[in-house]
Amino acid sequence: MKFYYFHLMPYVLDHDEPSSWVTFSNRHYDPAVGHTLYHQYLDQLEYAEHLGWDGICVNEHHQNCYGTMPSPNVMAAMLVRRTTRARIAILGNGLPLRENPLRIAEEIAMLDVVSGGRIVSGFVRGIGAEYYSTAVNPTHSRERFYEAADLILRSWTEPGPFAFDGRFYRYPFVNPWPRPLQRPHPPVWCPSQGSSETVEWAARRRFPYLMVFTPLARIAQVYGEYREACERNGYTASPYQLTVNLPIVVAENDRKAETIARRHAMWVYHVGLRMRPPYWQPPGYTTEASLRRLLDTRGKMPTELTYEDLVDGGYIICGSPATVRDKLRVFSDELRAGIVCSGMNGGSHEATLEMMQLFSEEVMPHFREDADVDETAGIGR
Amino acid sequence: MPAPTRMVVRDTPVDLLRDGRGAPLLFLHGAGAGGRWLTFQERLAARFDVLAPSHPGHGASPAAEWIEHVSDLAFHYLDLLDTLGLGRVHAVGASFGGWVAAELATMASHRLRSLTLIDPVGIKVEGWIYPFLFGMELPELVATVFHDPMAAVALAPPDMSLDTLAIIYRQNTALARVAWNPYLYNPRLRRRLARIAAPTLLCWGAHDRLAPLVCAEAWRKEIPGATLRVFEESGHLPHLEEPDAVAAAVIEFCAERGPGR
Repeated sequence: MKFYYFHLMPYVLDHDEPSSWVTFSNRHYDPAVGHTLYHQYLDQLEYAEHLGWDGICVNEHHQNCYGTMPSPNVMAAMLVRRTTRARIAILGNGLPLRENPLRIAEEIAMLDVVSGGRIVSGFVRGIGAEYYSTAVNPTHSRERFYEAADLILRSWTEPGPFAFDGRFYRYPFVNPWPRPLQRPHPPVWCPSQGSSETVEWAARRRFPYLMVFTPLARIAQVYGEYREACERNGYTASPYQLTVNLPIVVAENDRKAETIARRHAMWVYHVGLRMRPPYWQPPGYTTEASLRRLLDTRGKMPTELTYEDLVDGGYIICGSPATVRDKLRVFSDELRAGIVCSGMNGGSHEATLEMMQLFSEEVMPHFREDADVDETAGIGR
Repeated sequence: MPAPTRMVVRDTPVDLLRDGRGAPLLFLHGAGAGGRWLTFQERLAARFDVLAPSHPGHGASPAAEWIEHVSDLAFHYLDLLDTLGLGRVHAVGASFGGWVAAELATMASHRLRSLTLIDPVGIKVEGWIYPFLFGMELPELVATVFHDPMAAVALAPPDMSLDTLAIIYRQNTALARVAWNPYLYNPRLRRRLARIAAPTLLCWGAHDRLAPLVCAEAWRKEIPGATLRVFEESGHLPHLEEPDAVAAAVIEFCAERGPGR
């Protein structure tokens, strides 16, 4: 099993506003607090490499307190020079949100060259709220995503200059310097929300697929569809194309872990993911077929989830090292997933570092049967 | 309410409501009003042959991928008039439909006997930014659009079934395709309004909070000879809140200008 440390870089605070996204005023953001938080979060990611994690992850979200990384490439740039071994996974850049996606090709190539080929490049559409924050037309989201991905991949693999004439993006000269170091290009991962169209798209290109903050049963269903799509495309999915992606809370014993989780893990669901219903599904962001599937299987909103829902539904893993080991084994077996992608929150910076250490000493070593395998060999490209 | 008929305009299927006797009158509906035959249309049908098509993606008209800009919709309605062999018509457009009607009028004013715009959106007005309806939940939406919230019942969905929710999403998608950004206007339209040669009536709700009276003044200034009528008990949709008064105003205006019968 491979381990990636995932960070949202939240700005944790309590408030009574109806939404933590789009309209939650940035007057609540104190840059002095942000200064401390950014450094603690970056320290945690660097510490993850020190403790033996295989990769560290950053991601992109806009205008909210849930995740304060509007530019994941900026954060990756800080990590590139402070780490030497771990892969740096950008999960991912919101392709349709950019007016000039060639900039993504350029920035990822820069990071890949400087890091000596350690970059994993996630391609995402951005969640619904992001279309309110950026004003990009959500009815163009899917098409812009495919077109930008095509442009970026071609710019990495075809010798320039060449002309690109798409519906949304047009360039007389595509010829980015530098080119990425990894050949043919950095591995591409697809974090997504389970739409059948994206599942098919990722499977066809052997791009690993991952779902975040979703109940285990739903992830298992979508991963099953992904594996079927891989078979349809003439190959069997590697376990490294699928991840167990959820927060983990580990402590000396189950009771202590539960106390920490009840106090700190709930914030993401009850505050971080609180938003006005229209923000989840802006018009045209979802195909009608996917919308019907979503409405048909409609579960609780994040703000309605209880601690018991999170544990029983497999939204989080929580417990002593032995409990976490057992659950992780069950989850990875159920999903047939070769990568664990998770972040931790002990309630304070120091407590988080301690939790990471405990995990690295008491959990990780039990899953190292594949220590010599390169999880990116032939995958994601 | 007349039975809907299905027609094909070039390759685009359209659901059409048509009733009444008299000169042809093309009614272009606003967001959320596709496929509905309201008191307003009923009143007009006493004097006109009222044609009320649903925009593609609205009501029972399927979405049309080729419609990417509001001008595509305006050309679509010129195609519709050609398909039906209608030479000159009275055109009435409300809200978003008013925007489409205004675009059409700047392209082919000679096809119009008259033009009535009811609280249209579609132009940029200095000092005013249209509130972003796409981000609103129902109570805020109703408060923005209606003077009397009870009037919203006329546009209430029949139920909250999967099919109904899918139709609402399809309508919002069709609207967003042409109106998300720039939001509810075409930067090119305002300068072109001077091209409208048809007699033009502007009907406006005094309490419109989406496109307030300052917008009405801008339209009146730009369209040569336009007449403005303000309806004191209405918000953004006076033809829903005061259907008799608005229909009477339209009938009177058309009667003064050519054979309306």
